[in-house]
Amino acid sequence: MPSIQHAQPVVSLREVTRTYGQVHALDGVSLDIHRGAFTAIMGPSGSGKSTLMNVAAGLDDATSGQAFLAGADLRALDDDGRTRVRREQVGFVFQAFNLVPTLSAAENIALPFDLAARRIDGETRAWIDHLVAVLGLTDRLSHRPGELSGGQQQRVAIARALASRPAIIFADEPTGNLDSRSSREVLTLLRTAAQEYGQTIAMVSHDPVAASYADRVLIIADGRVVGDHGRLSPQQISDLLIGFEVGAA
Amino acid sequence: MSRSNLVLGSLRELGTVALVAGLCGTYAAVLMTTSSILAATSAQTGGSEGFVLSIAAGVFVLIALYVGVVVIINCVDTVIAGRLRQIALLRLLGSRGADLRRAVMRGTAAVGSLGAAIGLVVGVVLTHGIRLVLVARGTLPHAPYPLLSGGLLWAFASIAAAATLAGWLGARPVLSVSPAAALSGAAVAAPCRRRASVLRATLAALGILGGGVMLGVAAWLGETHPDMGFPLAFAGSVASGTGLLIGARFVIPAAVAGLSRLLGRDPASVVARRNAVLDPLRTTRSTMGLVIGVTLVTTFATGMDALRRSVASWDLPADTQAEAERVLAMTSTILICIIVISAIIAAVGFVSTMSLSVVQRHREIGMLRALGFTRSQVRTMITKESVALSTTAVLLGLLLGLLYGTLGAQSLVGGMSPGLIWGVPPEAIAAIGVGGLVLVIVASRGPARRALRVAPIEALRIDS
Repeated sequence: MPSIQHAQPVVSLREVTRTYGQVHALDGVSLDIHRGAFTAIMGPSGSGKSTLMNVAAGLDDATSGQAFLAGADLRALDDDGRTRVRREQVGFVFQAFNLVPTLSAAENIALPFDLAARRIDGETRAWIDHLVAVLGLTDRLSHRPGELSGGQQQRVAIARALASRPAIIFADEPTGNLDSRSSREVLTLLRTAAQEYGQTIAMVSHDPVAASYADRVLIIADGRVVGDHGRLSPQQISDLLIGFEVGAA
Repeated sequence: MSRSNLVLGSLRELGTVALVAGLCGTYAAVLMTTSSILAATSAQTGGSEGFVLSIAAGVFVLIALYVGVVVIINCVDTVIAGRLRQIALLRLLGSRGADLRRAVMRGTAAVGSLGAAIGLVVGVVLTHGIRLVLVARGTLPHAPYPLLSGGLLWAFASIAAAATLAGWLGARPVLSVSPAAALSGAAVAAPCRRRASVLRATLAALGILGGGVMLGVAAWLGETHPDMGFPLAFAGSVASGTGLLIGARFVIPAAVAGLSRLLGRDPASVVARRNAVLDPLRTTRSTMGLVIGVTLVTTFATGMDALRRSVASWDLPADTQAEAERVLAMTSTILICIIVISAIIAAVGFVSTMSLSVVQRHREIGMLRALGFTRSQVRTMITKESVALSTTAVLLGLLLGLLYGTLGAQSLVGGMSPGLIWGVPPEAIAAIGVGGLVLVIVASRGPARRALRVAPIEALRIDS
C-alpha cells in the first residue's frame, strides 16, 4: 500500500478553461484533489462536471490553463502520452458500458495490467483475489458481461479500477443505472476503498445521496466551482443544489 | 409501421445492398447481352457458342446471386445487431416485431431493385459499347444484333427476389428483441442464436463425405473412362461444396479461432480474436462469400494449369502443342474473368461488414481508449480482426480450389499422363494473395481511421 502523502496533490488544475465552439464548459477552474480523498463533483446537467472529469483524467484537452495528473503535465503530453498516464495512473468506473463485451469478468479485471504490460505478481494476485471475494464475484469470473446483472457489471468495473491501485479512480455517475440496493453497495464500496485502502476517488454525480458518501463535495455551476464543502448530508446537498438552481433562474 | 428507414436507414447500410445488387445486375447484363450477341453471330456462321454461353451465364449468375444473398443477409444482420436498442424502443412504442421485419424486407427489396435496374442498364450499355467498337474494327460481323434479351427481365426479377429474401432472412433477429430492453440501462444483449441442428450437421457430413468419395472415384475413373470421370467429378464437387456450405458454421468459426491464435497474446490481439469469433454465424457469413469466390477462382485456375501441365507431357507436334497451350491459356483467362465477380461481391460485403461492425463498436472503442489503448493499439486490433477473417477465408478457398481443380483435371485427362498431376497456378495464387492483402488493408484502414476520430469521451456519453 503506498503511504498517504499530502504533500503533492493527485490532481491539480490551475485556471483551466475548456470551450466547445462558443460554449464555455469550464471557465477558469482551479482545484486540488489530495491523496486518499473521496471527492464528489456535483452540479446540474450541463454544469461542466463531466468536462471537469474528462480534463482531469486526460480524456480531453483543456483549452487553456494547467492540468497535472499524478505529477504529469497533461497539457504537455500528446495523445499517446496521455494514454500512457491513463493506463498507469487512472482507474475508471463509468455509468454503463464499462466492460469489454468479448472478455470475461476476470479478463476485464486484468485488462489494465495487460495494457501496461505489467505482470501480475503474487502480492497483486492476492489483492485481486481479495477484491473479487469482497465484491462477491468469485463465482462470476468466467462470465461475459452480457451474462451479469447491471450491479455485477458495475462491481467488476470497480474491481478492475481498484486492482491496479491507480493514483486516482474517476467514477462518472457510477450508480446512474443501478437500483437503490445496488447503488448503496457500490457507494459503500467506494467509501471503503478510500477509507481502508487510501484509494483516491473522484466521483461525478448529480445524486445528493451518492455525494453524501464522499468526504468532500465540490459543486460546479456554469463551468465554475461554486461550492467546496466537507462531508454533507443528502438533505444539505439537495438544499445547496436547489439554491444554485433557483439563484441561476 | 410503413417507414422502412426506421430499422435500416443510413446510406452506408443500404449502399452495400444497392452495390451488391448493382454488381449482380451489371454482371448478369454483360453475360446475357454477350451471349445474345454471340447467338446473333453464330446464327450467321452456324455455331452454337451463344446457346452454350447463355446456359453457362445462367449458372454463373446464380452463383453470383447466391454470394450476393449471403452478403446482404450479413449486412442486414450486422445493422440490426447494432440497432437493438432502437428496435427495442420501436417495439416499446407499439411496433410489432413482424412489422419491423417486413419493413426491413421492403427496404432491401426497394434498394436491391433499384441497384439491379441501374446495374443491368450499365451492363447492357457497356456490352453494346464494346460490341460497337468490335464491329467497327471488323472483329465482329455486321448483323442485326438484338439490343435487349428476355433474360434481362428474369435477371431483374431474380436479383430483386434475392434482395427481398436476404432482407427477410437477415431481419429475423428483430423478432426476438424484447420491448422492455429499451428501458434497461445496460447494453442490449444480442438475442441468442438457435443452436445448429443435428439435421444440418448430418446433411453437411453426408455431402462432404459423399462428394469426397465421388471425387476420389472420378479421379480413378479418369485414368480409364474420362467420359464418366468428369461428370462424376463435377457432381462430387457440387455435393461436397454444398456439404461445406451447409456445414460452414461448424467449420469456419473453428478455422478462424485456430488461425487467430497466431495473431499474438497482447490485449489488442486478444480483443481482435474474440471479436472475430464473437458470433459464429456472423463470422461464417462474412467469410463464406470470400471462401466461395476464392475457391471458384482457384478451381478454374488450378484445373486449367493441371490441363496445361498434362498437355505439356503429351507427345504432340510442336505447332499443335503451342496452339493447345494458347487455347488453354485464353480459356483459362476468360473463365477466371467470368468467375471472379463472386469474389468481388464477397469482398465488397466483407469491407462493408467490417466497417459497420467498427462503427457500431465506437462506444467499446472509446472505453478501450479511456482505459489505455493507444491509437496504434486500436488500429492493430481492427487490422488483426480483418486479417484473421480474410486470411482464413483465402486459405480455405485456396485449399479447396487446388483440390477441386486438380481432381477435375485428373478425371478428364488422367489417362493421358502418368499419375496425378497437381495444378499449381503461380500467377493465380499470387493474384489471390495480393487481392487478400489489399482486402485486409481496405477493410481495416477506413474503419480504423473512423474509430480513431472518435474521442474517448464522446463514445462514453450515455445517450450517444
